Amino acid sequence: MFGIPDPTIWIAYLLAIAFACACVLYGIVNWNKGDSDNGS
Amino acid sequence: MAVDTFTTMIVILVYLVMILGIGYYGYRKTKGAEDYMVAGRNTHPLVIALSYGATFISTSAIVGFGGVAANLGMGLIWLTVFNIGVGVLIAFVFFGKRVRTIGQRLGAVTFSDLMGKCYNSTFIQYVSGIIILVSMPIYTAAILIGGARFIEVTLSVQYEVALLGFAVIVGAYVVLGGLIAVMHTDAVQGAIMAVGMSLLLVLTYVYLGGVTTAHTALTNMADLVPAALTAQGHLGWTSMPSLGSPIWMTLVTTMVLGVGIGVLAQPQLIVRFMTAKDDKALNRATLIGGPFILMMTGVAFTVGALTNVYFYQKSGEIAIAAAGGNVDSIMPLYITSAMPDIFVVIFMLTLLSAAMSTLSSLYHTMGTALACDVWGRGRSCALSLKSNKYGIFIMMVVSIAVALLLPGSIIARATVIFMGLCASAFLPVFVNGITSKSPCVIGAKASMLAGAIVWFLWTAFFHAAESSALGLCQYLFGVPALLGQPWSACNPLIIALPISIIVMAVFQFRHNRNMA
Repeated sequence: MFGIPDPTIWIAYLLAIAFACACVLYGIVNWNKGDSDNGS
Repeated sequence: MAVDTFTTMIVILVYLVMILGIGYYGYRKTKGAEDYMVAGRNTHPLVIALSYGATFISTSAIVGFGGVAANLGMGLIWLTVFNIGVGVLIAFVFFGKRVRTIGQRLGAVTFSDLMGKCYNSTFIQYVSGIIILVSMPIYTAAILIGGARFIEVTLSVQYEVALLGFAVIVGAYVVLGGLIAVMHTDAVQGAIMAVGMSLLLVLTYVYLGGVTTAHTALTNMADLVPAALTAQGHLGWTSMPSLGSPIWMTLVTTMVLGVGIGVLAQPQLIVRFMTAKDDKALNRATLIGGPFILMMTGVAFTVGALTNVYFYQKSGEIAIAAAGGNVDSIMPLYITSAMPDIFVVIFMLTLLSAAMSTLSSLYHTMGTALACDVWGRGRSCALSLKSNKYGIFIMMVVSIAVALLLPGSIIARATVIFMGLCASAFLPVFVNGITSKSPCVIGAKASMLAGAIVWFLWTAFFHAAESSALGLCQYLFGVPALLGQPWSACNPLIIALPISIIVMAVFQFRHNRNMA
């Protein structure tokens, strides 16, 4: 994939991108949660 | 360097004025110990995320590990997986919120203070402070060396002058402005790093003819791997090393696991969680943290490996040969020789920012550990601004001395040593301290000491990379390491961390049973 023949390398690339996307999603979903005012 | 010296000087001057101006802002905003130590516990999510990321990513990650990727290949990208998955996602979501809540409730102002208060033990605070003071100057010195070496190459300044100037400028705004200055300068430096690393990635692929073309060219260079590396399991720069080979052991146990897990127990990062006002700030910071780290280590490791294609096409040599055998010189050499002149200045600011942001945080952590946790432990001077400023100044001088004594090619190795010791000694105690209802103090003492002692014994007598350099094993037993392959390539963390986890778990289990 993309000139990288070893799947253990390109899987690592896909995982790194997937984790970065998970961080973005987590931030968006929980954008207004955990406010100090509502004590949640 | 091809860039006009006058232009470079102007850019650096503007940059330094801006950074020192932010330092002054921190100085003006600092009214008491809580401002100086934990930035008033009211930091903006963007500042938390960029400060965490910029502190996390140093010249070590870009220059040191980029050079390692040039030597060992793209397998290092597994470290990026851990950097984001463990270092951001798990760190912020599972640990960050607990640290913030507990830190605020107990009024903790440093990592060691937090540990001491979680376990209600000044001994825990004292020992963790001592471990920070012993291990962190080595890592700090590595950051200093990385920054000074790059200044030396790009500005043609004498190495010692570069090192001293760099160390003192950063020390000035940390001493004066405390953590408010540190985190806000970090944020600006993080933004510069994001721009610089994005450009580095794009320009590298453009220069090498595109993503697939560049990777294919690197794949086709597998037969150029030096025989010495092939004999140790290197299978090419776009392949993982042979399973269980010495290079595989080094890559997986030392680089990927050692640094990837070690990040969870780094005091200078954990303190960042205590600067958040509420959990909402940490949720929002997570959004920025993940992509930021991807653009840092992901780019450094990818471009690091691809420097082999550039140097081979340019001079017929692979990267390590072009850099005269010094791994730490590969990335600076690539940037100064491959990038357009105008961007060299941006990359210089990127690397300066990476070094300064990490260095400032380490100064602050070491100085407050000395003044608050070791010297002032249990006394009123622990929270004195004056004593903490003296603490930071003293640790700055110690770090400069260590940097002048350390040998070359030390950047990545020193990072691994620091993170390995931190994780072995702190991680089980830290996790247990913030998750247990009634943390066992004897277990914490035993786990911390067991982790530190086993880590040291494995480093001094078994892990060949360090034991041969220390010479203690050779002196006592006449051999560089007591065991052969694969144990001599197994990182101390892999042995010490499970032992400290078991010790903590056994004591905590007994403690819980007795309490029931």
